[in-house]
Amino acid sequence: MSDQLAPAHRHTRLLRWGVPAGVLVVALAVPASGRVLSASAAPSLPPRTPAQLLADLQTARVDGMSGTVVQHSDLGLPQLPGLGTSSTGSSSLTSLVSGTHTMRVWYSGPDRARLALLGTLGESDVVLNHRDLWIWSSDQKTAQHHRLPAGTKDAQKRGKHPELPTTPQAAADRALAAITPTTEVSTAANATVAGRSAYELVIAPKDPRSLVHEVRVAIDSATHVPLRFRAFATGHSAPAFEVGFTQVSFQRPGDDQFRFTPPPGTKVTEATTGTAPATTDKTPRGAQPTVVGTGWTAVVLGTAPAMPSATGSRAGGPDVGRMLASLPRVHGTWGSGRLLTSSLFSVLLTDDGRVVAGAVSPELLYAAAAK
Amino acid sequence: MSAVEAVAPVRATSRPRRVVSTRFLRSELRLVFGRLRNLAVLAVLAGVPILIAVAVRLSSPDSGEGPAFLSSITDNGLFVSLAAMTVVLPLFLPLAVAVVSGDAVAGEANLGTLRYLLTVPVRRSRLLAVKYTAVVAFCFAATLVVGLVGAAIGLALFPAGPVTLLSGTTVGSAEASWRILLCALYIGACMAALGAVGMFVSTLTEYPVAAMASTAVLAVTSQVLDALPQLSAIHPYLLSHWWLAYGDLLRDPMSSTGPLHGLGSAAAYIAVFGALAWARFAGRDVSS
Repeated sequence: MSDQLAPAHRHTRLLRWGVPAGVLVVALAVPASGRVLSASAAPSLPPRTPAQLLADLQTARVDGMSGTVVQHSDLGLPQLPGLGTSSTGSSSLTSLVSGTHTMRVWYSGPDRARLALLGTLGESDVVLNHRDLWIWSSDQKTAQHHRLPAGTKDAQKRGKHPELPTTPQAAADRALAAITPTTEVSTAANATVAGRSAYELVIAPKDPRSLVHEVRVAIDSATHVPLRFRAFATGHSAPAFEVGFTQVSFQRPGDDQFRFTPPPGTKVTEATTGTAPATTDKTPRGAQPTVVGTGWTAVVLGTAPAMPSATGSRAGGPDVGRMLASLPRVHGTWGSGRLLTSSLFSVLLTDDGRVVAGAVSPELLYAAAAK
Repeated sequence: MSAVEAVAPVRATSRPRRVVSTRFLRSELRLVFGRLRNLAVLAVLAGVPILIAVAVRLSSPDSGEGPAFLSSITDNGLFVSLAAMTVVLPLFLPLAVAVVSGDAVAGEANLGTLRYLLTVPVRRSRLLAVKYTAVVAFCFAATLVVGLVGAAIGLALFPAGPVTLLSGTTVGSAEASWRILLCALYIGACMAALGAVGMFVSTLTEYPVAAMASTAVLAVTSQVLDALPQLSAIHPYLLSHWWLAYGDLLRDPMSSTGPLHGLGSAAAYIAVFGALAWARFAGRDVSS
């Protein structure tokens, strides 16, 4: 049909449809170019050895910083009922185990910090201001208040910035020597994270049975603060777990960021426990876990705690019983139980109440359970 | 649309127009806002916040139940605006925009008025631009109607106490009104992008109902695809992906990341589908 048209007419028609095509290309190219530019540029920095980088990490000290952190997990976990799905919409703190999440963080010294987990139309905040720790959930309209004992503050300070008996370099050398039998520490090409040039430290287990292929930490070249952490699973090219800044500023945030007053209409729960409740460790722990094996293939054996309420006490928490029932059943010479596998770790819950976990394949867990 | 007009072939007979007359646009706006059907659509949209406010007044919901912002209404009536906008955003609002934008060109073609319209000495690109401007005006009008009616009924039935932002900080009513207005304008911009898609669909057919239905289906399909985690790679490119990003405007400190992404995405959709509509309409044989 178009052959019958006059050549000039055909030309204009082609030209006309070329306009939307061109607009589409531009529309797609504009956001992509920004990403390519920031990703491909490997900044040239004075070379540093792994030991120097480890020392840098320990001496890193910033007065304050703020920024946006994006966390992405692709652990290959089964879809568990009650746990957040991969949707980005949930601002519940338990949804962090899967999918992509955006957080805003503010830090102003070890006793002032705020983390906001952004949901689509919700937000969960953890605000630490001296001895007051608040956990706010906009979905539930609840606030938990924890008054930290005076001692914990110093302990936390020490924990974060250990007062080392020797120079940081010596400590780093010692740490490097301690992990060298099991671990290969090296550096990779420099990276650009959140627009800042960074060194990339690579930590890889020597034992091929480990599910962890390597861990990469991007360290800011100026402040030595880690900007990105990525864990790669064996056999996967994309990181199984990644958390890093997409935007960062080393300006000290104002004190207003750390002031939290429960808004009217909020259900406030006062926690009387003296321990820091912000720990997000959801792994059921037994009374006295034992460790089988060493290094990256160590397997932890413990006894499962009484199932109900221990982890599900938080409003909107996962329904543990239903979650467990959805796991596949396995059995062998060691007995029978349920198995949770992911690309980075495996957990075996035996019917006689034992928990076996490690960054290894299930076979090693079975072997440990049989002992 | 100025870029599109610059590319439009200028006929030798058309003389350069020094002063851009708004008469054509005014008549188009009268057509859109004077039509009984469109007014009925606006009235239905205005009914949503009234329904929400009355329902909450009769039985206050527990925290965390129902759509977002619902439980906050009893503290401050302004939240009726936000709750209503959140409720109409998935379906009612896209449907209203689909009706108006799908009708824009196909409606005239169906009534047989399009060819008379084309005898008016204006370029087709100008005609399209005027039609689209009227659609955009309707998008913002529809969103603002929901927001303003919501604020009015909310303040009439509920106290105007402190407003709790998503971050748990409380602000005064003035600050909250400003933020809610920003939310409404953002949603209006998102709807304008859908209007551009509807406009393009409208140039493809002579049956306005087909254009309206296709546009509405496209809006819903985009949201369905956005809900499938397996398709997360294409999510940022979906029309509806950033619609709910107005939540970022309700944080403390206000975050602009999501809304800026959303506005960028809307601009891209408007540019692409505006160009497509122009390419289709400028070269189309109009017989009816």
